[in-house]
Amino acid sequence: MKDNPIFRNDMILKIEDLSISFGGIKAVDAVSFEVNEKEIYGLIGPNGAGKTTIFNIITQFYKPDNGKVYFKDKDLKWKNLIDYKTHDVVKTGLIRTFQNLELIQDLSLLDNLLVGSHTFYKSTALEQALRMPRAVKEERKFRNKAMEIMKLLNISDKAYELVYGQPYGILKKVELGRTLMSEPRMIILDEPAAGLNERETAELADILKHIRTDYDTTIFLVEHDMGLVMDICDRICAISFGEKLAEGTPAEIQNNSFVQEAYLGSEEGELAE
Amino acid sequence: MEKKLKSRFNLLENVYINYILIGILFLIAIPLNQAGIIGGSVLITLGSVILYSVVGIGMNILLGYAGLITLGGAGFMGLAAYLSAYFTRDLNMPFLFSLIFSVGIPIIIGIGIGLISLRLGGYYLAIATLGIGEVLKQVFIEYDVFTGGFSGKSAGYINLFGLQFDRIGTYALYAVILIFALIIGHNIVNSATGRAFMTMRSSEAAAQAMGIRMLKYKVLAFVIATIYSTIGGIMYMHLIKFSFPTTWGLGMSLNFLSIVVIGGMKAIAGPVVGALFVIAFPDLVLKNIPIIGTSPGVAYIFNGVLIVVVLLFYNRGLIKIFTDAKVLIKKLIGGK
Ligand SMILES: Nc1ncnc2c1ncn2[C@@H]1O[C@H](COP(=O)(O)OP(=O)(O)OP(=O)(O)O)[C@@H](O)[C@H]1O
Ligand SMILES: [Mg+2]
Repeated sequence: MKDNPIFRNDMILKIEDLSISFGGIKAVDAVSFEVNEKEIYGLIGPNGAGKTTIFNIITQFYKPDNGKVYFKDKDLKWKNLIDYKTHDVVKTGLIRTFQNLELIQDLSLLDNLLVGSHTFYKSTALEQALRMPRAVKEERKFRNKAMEIMKLLNISDKAYELVYGQPYGILKKVELGRTLMSEPRMIILDEPAAGLNERETAELADILKHIRTDYDTTIFLVEHDMGLVMDICDRICAISFGEKLAEGTPAEIQNNSFVQEAYLGSEEGELAE
Repeated sequence: MEKKLKSRFNLLENVYINYILIGILFLIAIPLNQAGIIGGSVLITLGSVILYSVVGIGMNILLGYAGLITLGGAGFMGLAAYLSAYFTRDLNMPFLFSLIFSVGIPIIIGIGIGLISLRLGGYYLAIATLGIGEVLKQVFIEYDVFTGGFSGKSAGYINLFGLQFDRIGTYALYAVILIFALIIGHNIVNSATGRAFMTMRSSEAAAQAMGIRMLKYKVLAFVIATIYSTIGGIMYMHLIKFSFPTTWGLGMSLNFLSIVVIGGMKAIAGPVVGALFVIAFPDLVLKNIPIIGTSPGVAYIFNGVLIVVVLLFYNRGLIKIFTDAKVLIKKLIGGK
């Protein structure tokens, strides 16, 4: 390695100088920030600011034009995720949800959660096909775990119902539950409160705080609901047009003039068009 | 909560009873045949339904659950059929050895082809597998020392550990094989592997994020379908006892698509219902209708119409008639 990044002990994710452009438009422009262990960290910005794109780069759905994504994995070793294939990222302990839900409609809630445990299954397809002891034991273990998680999320009464046709609030919880099945060190949530009503949002805030302590995870979220962001986040990073504007505590971000301008500016911009 | 989980587990096991029941229903044909109520040819037709169902279960896992299409299934089925005839008849191999090679060789070829063609998606995969199927058919035609070419290849009923099966014995054996094929299929789709298939089919993004290696699971689904196809091919060879290269063409592969679609994708027993309609109905019912029954191609027309009707009005497949009927009966009885 030619440049030696500095890793503080309490850090879990270090983003360095990340850039990507789509057809000449810079969607993310030299963004750097760090997330600490057990933190609830928020990423905010107007529509199209590049938030989802940053998530996509961190989880290796996109490869950046430039920059590094360092993550402290399950063995507490720092890894540059850029070297990883998309499907190998989860093994480091990093898992995400999607802004547009990505669930399996014709599976039950329980089965959807079980997909989150995929990499932990040790039994082979043959053992599963013949229901050999190891496969049965393993399946039972993960089912119990999924039931526990559904209890936390308050959806255990629907465990055996299909995902198809469930209300939005439930679907959001299923995606969140699925991430917990992967024994994550860090959960990345893309707009977890989008589409939720006030009561559901308040419940989500509670759940997220619980998850952080009970599951020993760091939470990194993108969210437009400022009430939620200011309530639960320890620190926030604000971006606009792919560039970092500010980083700090909720209070600092709220009072930052650049941030205020970006949010106002984007609205005025829309009006002017 | 514990209790609910447990009862659910029992419920899952109880599905097995349905599969065993399906096997028993087929077995009822044996006393009917012995009593002279149905002829021996009906037994052969029902035996064909069973073996087509077995292949259909594999196709359903591939198409319905993993969301992949193949138009070359018949080729692998034929390959196994010829191998089994060659090993048991020409080489006089004991059936079990022959079985291992007749399933194993196509699997190895299947994995190789899968690794290449499964990188393609959608239409490309359909065209690639169609090509593979046709190549295999040409091989059957040209390689006549092994297949008998156009004059065909014959084989006998199965001889297992010195036990020689006759027609009825073979039929009974096939009914038992069907039960196992159903149970194993059920286990697969209700396992982590099955969930990986379904995730791959419905959301590539979710599959990637959850650590599901797409190529591995595509190849695995392909291999599972190939195993079912080869077993069906071997069953064909030792029931019909004769095989021609032209049998294993696109028409046969399309039959399996019909069986899966008509019976019901994403239902393990769906192909049994599908095979009853696609294989048995034309043979046992249509043929006996005056004038229409004897017109050429009537079975194909019937198939085509049935597919359209099912897709338009009953797209979960005809197997769902049973569950819907159950609900209806419960409603009528319970009055709720
Ligand atoms: N795959 C892609 N191809 C082309 N352009 C893209 C792609 N992904 C993102 N973009 C562009 O990058 C910019 C940032 O998009 P992104 O989805 O990251 O925004 P966002 O901050 O998540 O917005 P929102 O709050 O609306 O979800 C947008 O201009 C978008 O059109
Ligand atoms: Mg977004």
